Amino acid sequence: MFRSQYDTDVTTFSPQGRLLQVEYAMEAVKQGSAVVGVCSATHVVLAALKRSFSDLAWHQRKIVPIDEHIGVAISGIAADARVLTKRMRDECLQHRFVYGDAMPVGRLVHLVADLCQKCTQRISRRPYGVGLLVAGVDESGPHLYQTCPSGEVYDLVGMALGARSQSARTYLERHMDEFSSASREALIRHALWALNETLASAKDQHLSAENCAVGVVSIGDDMRFHLYEHEQVQPLLDACAFPKSGGTATETSTEQAPQNVTDSDEHHDATMQQDTP
Amino acid sequence: MAGVGSGYDLTTTTFSPEGRVYQVEYATKAVEQSGTVIGIRCVDGVVLAVENLRGVKLLRPDSLRRIFAVDRHIGIAVAGIGPDGRHMVGRARSEAQNYRSVYAEEIPPSLLAERLASYAHVYSLYWHVRPFGCTILIGGWDASQGPCLYVVEPDGSGYKYRAYANGKGRTAVRTALNKLNFEQLTCTSAVQEIARMIHQSRDIAKDKPYELEMAWISEASDHKFARVPGALVVSSRQAVEEEPQQMETGGSTASADRGETPSTSTHIMEES
Amino acid sequence: MIETPTHTTEPIVTGSSVLGVQCVDGVVLACDTLASYGSLARFQRITRLHQPAPGVVIAGGGEYSDLQQLFRITDNIFRQEFCQEDGYELSPRALHSYLARVLYGRRSRMDPLYNSLAVAGKGRFLGCIDLYGTAFESEAVATGIGALLALPLIRKQWHAALAMDEGVRLLEECLRVLYYRDCRALRSVQVAKVSDSGEVLISEPYELSNLQWKVAQAAEEV
Repeated sequence: MFRSQYDTDVTTFSPQGRLLQVEYAMEAVKQGSAVVGVCSATHVVLAALKRSFSDLAWHQRKIVPIDEHIGVAISGIAADARVLTKRMRDECLQHRFVYGDAMPVGRLVHLVADLCQKCTQRISRRPYGVGLLVAGVDESGPHLYQTCPSGEVYDLVGMALGARSQSARTYLERHMDEFSSASREALIRHALWALNETLASAKDQHLSAENCAVGVVSIGDDMRFHLYEHEQVQPLLDACAFPKSGGTATETSTEQAPQNVTDSDEHHDATMQQDTP
Repeated sequence: MAGVGSGYDLTTTTFSPEGRVYQVEYATKAVEQSGTVIGIRCVDGVVLAVENLRGVKLLRPDSLRRIFAVDRHIGIAVAGIGPDGRHMVGRARSEAQNYRSVYAEEIPPSLLAERLASYAHVYSLYWHVRPFGCTILIGGWDASQGPCLYVVEPDGSGYKYRAYANGKGRTAVRTALNKLNFEQLTCTSAVQEIARMIHQSRDIAKDKPYELEMAWISEASDHKFARVPGALVVSSRQAVEEEPQQMETGGSTASADRGETPSTSTHIMEES
Repeated sequence: MIETPTHTTEPIVTGSSVLGVQCVDGVVLACDTLASYGSLARFQRITRLHQPAPGVVIAGGGEYSDLQQLFRITDNIFRQEFCQEDGYELSPRALHSYLARVLYGRRSRMDPLYNSLAVAGKGRFLGCIDLYGTAFESEAVATGIGALLALPLIRKQWHAALAMDEGVRLLEECLRVLYYRDCRALRSVQVAKVSDSGEVLISEPYELSNLQWKVAQAAEEV
């Protein structure tokens, strides 16, 4: 099982200058079900695939509101995500209390990232095994950020995390030039199309009102984060016109790379599934 | 997978039989793999520059910065692990603020460098922490001495430099830095030189696209930390990219050197 | 028994009133340049106005050392803003809220900063905070004894079309009244103008003119 003698402590550099424990924590992010985020000049949209671990279990929460103007999609260890999202809520409340206005999204994300970094430098902690897509608006417009267990922060126009997310990223990269001018509806469609790419090719898996959640926030008068779940998602899905078979979108099917080639995360799926939404 | 110091290289609290602390050396490997970072002290200011590699296509332009303001008169450029760099920058900001609250004046960059070096050093001493995987370039304006450049390494050393480079293209850039005339070099021409050095140190076929991120503390910016005006960065970069590749100097040899172990003798150290 | 500290509730070196008024093209703040030691006019050329960043001016009365500390605190947060470089700008309203939390926090710990502040900023912002952390915005503010003597005068003459220069004259008139009646006031004053677009002009200290002490004689005769 073990790959080298340098991979058991977070405080140990490999001879190449890598931190393998941190890289393994990044693997945990890939084990959660997929989440997608896209950002236009006016809107940010999050879309998530929710797993249910048994027929008797509720589908897990993948998108959580943080403050009026910020929402987060999580992929990785759910309990770690809860710690971070709680902290984010506290910071937003604190900012409102102190300054009387909404927390700038970038600053919130960097607070969380600094928290993640601290966990990579002491042996008494393990890195947080969760990746966040943070969607929010502030004075400087709409923002989509990604945080990593390493403490790295990315400021993006689109991103997908979680299981089989490579195919969603491929979709996003191919369409990224369209995002900036996209309308609210078009942006939601892009997010759901990308999310649809992450589905296993098995016939029985498809996006539905049960297993899908969408979050939207926009600039303008209503700077609030809206979360659509359950029956509210259905109209959004209906507007997408997915191919019946699921898996690969018709318009891109010819150019689609074989999924398993780009997907290194698939063999991890069996482990830790109980903990990863 | 075993490293060169096999058995003696697992924690910072272990010396190897020949007296080396391998974990600290491995931390510097993280620095050497980052995009090239350059600092130059000129006659009228100090310039910090980063070859900001854009591995992720979906990134927004001008994001993922590696140069940070610490105080109005000091900036830091980070080579190596970005989040570790941010940690150091956070520490630097609180040191600067702390100094000001005690002495009611700006912290001298030399003192800031010393304090940060001590901070980095602590992280190379104990088994329960790891060294910082980053080297930081501190550019500042000293009230009495004018512009200055200090560099703090993962091992906790802090030296003053006329010019410094680290990261993937360091070998070629250090060679090029040695040829500059620092007695006459102005910030504006340093910006153009840096654009050329970074361009020539790259292997166009292999390397990821990059953004040129630059900041200075100069007479032009009123001795304050400021981003180098975008127009100057863009024009400097365009100028070198349109120029035909020079075969004998930087160009092709530099690309071959990229990523290999540097000879430290090319550092242009002023004093320790 | 828990001993409640009392030494923090006795200011030593104090400034008196601060006045502020919103005008049609900006905000004006005014105060004198005195810090009294008890009833002694001890420091006569100190400034109680402070510009921590472009487009913001704060002015304060009460314990002068606490006021200096508050000025340092505001300088610090604007320095942190400078370092962030993320395009977000701390508005005068946010600063006003921040200072209110500082003062409220200190008073809740029974260790107040003994000041009352006026905050003026671009976008025609004018707010007021006292040592308890009470904070509000208003088109006219006055702290200390000015709240009793000057505020009624400002309100009487205030109108929506008041220009900044008229505002300066109005506040000068109030400072004159305060100089007559407030024994901790001084003839030497300073005025700050903050235009809507954020231009700040803080005057050098100057002496109030046209003082009429004949009324004092009249008072003696009664």
